[in-house]
Amino acid sequence: MSDVISVIKRQSGLKYASIDNDEMENFSSDEDVPMVDIDGKSNGGKRNEAAAGEIVTPGELITEDPIWMRGHGTYFLENSTYSSAAGTISRVNRLLSVIPLKGRYTPETGDHIVGRITDVGNKRWKVDIGGKQHAVLMLGSVNLPGGILRRKSESDELQMRTFLKEGDVLNAEVQSLFQDGSASLHTRSLKYGKLRDGLLIQVPSSLVVRSKNHTHNLPGNVTVLLGVNGFIWLRKTSKMDVARETPSAGPASDISEGPTGAKSLNPTNSVSITRLEEESSWKIYSDKNDPSITPSIRQNISRYANVIKALAFCEIGLTHERIVIGYEASIAYSNIGELIEREVMESIGDDVINIEKMRGNGATE
Amino acid sequence: MSRFEIYSPEGLRLDGRRWNEVRRFECSINTHAHAADGSSYLEQGNNKIITLVKGPKEPSLRSQANSLKATMDVSVNITRFSKFERSAISHKNERRVLEIQTALLRTFEKNIMLHLYPRTQISIQVHILQQDGGMFASLINGITLALIDAGIAMYDYVSGISIGLFDTTPLLDVNTLEENAMSTVTLGVIGKSEKLSLLSVEDKIPLDRLESVLAIGIAGAHRLRDLMDEELRKHAHKRVIKASTK
Amino acid sequence: MAKEIITPVAESKFILDALKENQRLDGRSFDKFRDVDISFGKEYGDATVTLGKTKVQCRVSCSITQPYEDRPFEGLFIISTEMSPMAGPQFENGSNTGDDEVLCSRIIEKAIRRSGALDVEGLCIVAGSKCWAIRADVHVLDCDGGIIDASCLAVICALLHFRKPDVSILGEQVTVHPINEREPVALGILHIPICVTFSFFNPQDVEENIKGAGNNEIAIIDATLKEESLRDGVLTVTLNKNREVVQVSKAGGLPMDALSLMDCCHKAYDITERITDQILALIKEDSQKRNKFAQILSSENAR
Repeated sequence: MSDVISVIKRQSGLKYASIDNDEMENFSSDEDVPMVDIDGKSNGGKRNEAAAGEIVTPGELITEDPIWMRGHGTYFLENSTYSSAAGTISRVNRLLSVIPLKGRYTPETGDHIVGRITDVGNKRWKVDIGGKQHAVLMLGSVNLPGGILRRKSESDELQMRTFLKEGDVLNAEVQSLFQDGSASLHTRSLKYGKLRDGLLIQVPSSLVVRSKNHTHNLPGNVTVLLGVNGFIWLRKTSKMDVARETPSAGPASDISEGPTGAKSLNPTNSVSITRLEEESSWKIYSDKNDPSITPSIRQNISRYANVIKALAFCEIGLTHERIVIGYEASIAYSNIGELIEREVMESIGDDVINIEKMRGNGATE
Repeated sequence: MSRFEIYSPEGLRLDGRRWNEVRRFECSINTHAHAADGSSYLEQGNNKIITLVKGPKEPSLRSQANSLKATMDVSVNITRFSKFERSAISHKNERRVLEIQTALLRTFEKNIMLHLYPRTQISIQVHILQQDGGMFASLINGITLALIDAGIAMYDYVSGISIGLFDTTPLLDVNTLEENAMSTVTLGVIGKSEKLSLLSVEDKIPLDRLESVLAIGIAGAHRLRDLMDEELRKHAHKRVIKASTK
Repeated sequence: MAKEIITPVAESKFILDALKENQRLDGRSFDKFRDVDISFGKEYGDATVTLGKTKVQCRVSCSITQPYEDRPFEGLFIISTEMSPMAGPQFENGSNTGDDEVLCSRIIEKAIRRSGALDVEGLCIVAGSKCWAIRADVHVLDCDGGIIDASCLAVICALLHFRKPDVSILGEQVTVHPINEREPVALGILHIPICVTFSFFNPQDVEENIKGAGNNEIAIIDATLKEESLRDGVLTVTLNKNREVVQVSKAGGLPMDALSLMDCCHKAYDITERITDQILALIKEDSQKRNKFAQILSSENAR
């Protein structure tokens, strides 16, 4: 055990007045051992003010100025505000908070999320959205077969499992939040609902940034749904996806508005959403995957999945562009399985950042 | 083992440390990113400990949900191969282990802001891969790191340390040989304060010596807190740099 | 400890407010240990300790058995703590694996067995093949707080009171003499550990407790059941008259200033001193009573 590297503790005078530390002092003064001094930057208690963006750890004094409102990640005693998490300081107007480096997804109203049904209950489904608590999806917040304006009947309550059952994956929007921070979801739009024809991957929710659009059609006939909660669904691009993409530049892109929005879709579009909706009817809750998924599409999907895993490994935020760049960079590796080897993941991560810098949009976001 | 060897007249201990030196302390966090929300790997001397924190998450049983605060559970797994000789029996239901679990639970219950996470569960799992004295103290350090890694709101660090008393000399951060040869005290210290969340003395110690043992223990715990803080900041710094390249 | 006892919110607030004003429900001061009442049974090794309304009985028994292979010169000593629903609704029948039950039996174990209060080497009859096995069964008869303190007292009193039958060894032959034949022998008790439990309350916010410099936490000695169910932290100190700390257990709970804890230890020492004297006096009194009886008997025989 002689190989134990010891770190020497500076015996900086015991703080108790009543201690008989005669012999202790003798020790520390007689044997003046070299001291390893590493606590240069970590003595949080001595600074008066920590700047925004600076890293703080639990128990650290952030400020003694009482003008700040104390937000998340802080606690206070009289005038002093302390951090309760390891993270960076954020100051927005008068609000002082600490953004933790890591943590579970915290739902916010309007978030586009992907979740998994865990429980079918009384007029509601429980959905695992990777948050602190499961979210609730009320029977009244989903579209049921046979038209949007249909009333929910008792028979619907009895056959909830025929719509969504345990293990089903769906995308939805956070409708509202409860007092305790848990979310209530809705799928009252055609872009939400049960997911098929693909696979689910999970990344830390901090890597997906809230933006206007979370559904992207990617090269290779693959569509990605980037849930804000870090659940990502990759699937074969469907007719609906194509339809959604085409008018996206036009003024009527807000299909999420429901039936009216759907009707106002670009009439030149070959497939009308309303017609699709009528056609789908029961099909929106079908468990059958599209039979026409070719092996090459399957390979593309897994390639994207591994690219996303690589980006997540490098802790690079996920955007549409980056996934595409990553995909292009990954073509160099013919074997898809190779992509999740450590070195390859690192190299893809570097490639993505470099290419993005070259294109000149690296600094944004 | 004769008492002479434990602490030589020159002031050296069995492993060459002096009375006031802590052992090698290395830790890393976020070691099991896929398996848990927070994780840490800690080496304190020859103690090797993996800690996983899962949660706050939906309680596995509805009866565990508390509408006012999070519920917590701690499970300690002392592997059979953690000591020099492989133990023939599992340690799972030993009273000693149950006691340690309860003590850890009660230590962290008061330090985590449980009221922020109603109706959720935080479960802590500790796996001891190797033990070499002062295990209880190392568990505290491992859990503190993993909880911070999980982003769970805490009032302050809790750092654990064990101190032995050799004759009249307190020895900081004891190893197994020292632990078996003399009385030891285990402390759980809150941050940089002199507040003790945990205090455990299992063998006889003169009442009048206890105070000096506590004093050196608190100083040692502060040192460990700094070492943990340093590692955490290093890690945080890396993450922030990465995030800024986004 | 009181898992299933739910104190009404208003009542708990009342108790806490009273504590903030230096008042306890039973009128005791914060550092007053309840009066200890110890009674011994007819037979050797039967002690009942009453601490307020808490009542604990301990019965010590012995048998001859084989020592452990790795410790051929030592006898066996087992303490078993039994908490049945008789003591209160918070205890479950048969399962002693609740957090508090485990902590309680571990503390008693550490305070008495691990600290070497009983001289186990004196229990050896024939090295490696025969030794005494001493068993202390603790039964909590009624619970109003302070179970650990009372149980520890009960065990140590019963051990002091116990007499094991005398044996004589002739080669490999061991003869046990019934107690009515030969005067039984007392156990070798090396020191008398006394447990004192402190309960901590936080009269202020958690932030003040963690970061404040006030150290205004309240520490009371020997809490009743109601106080126990409301406390934020607990410390059990075991000491003996030789100014030795036998065991200290503060398993988490409210963080307390180190100096306040030291203060608790010193307070506990005063109580330890007093109770030790009380126990020794009672034991002496009891043995004198029995001796007097024996003297009358012997005088009758002489006649």
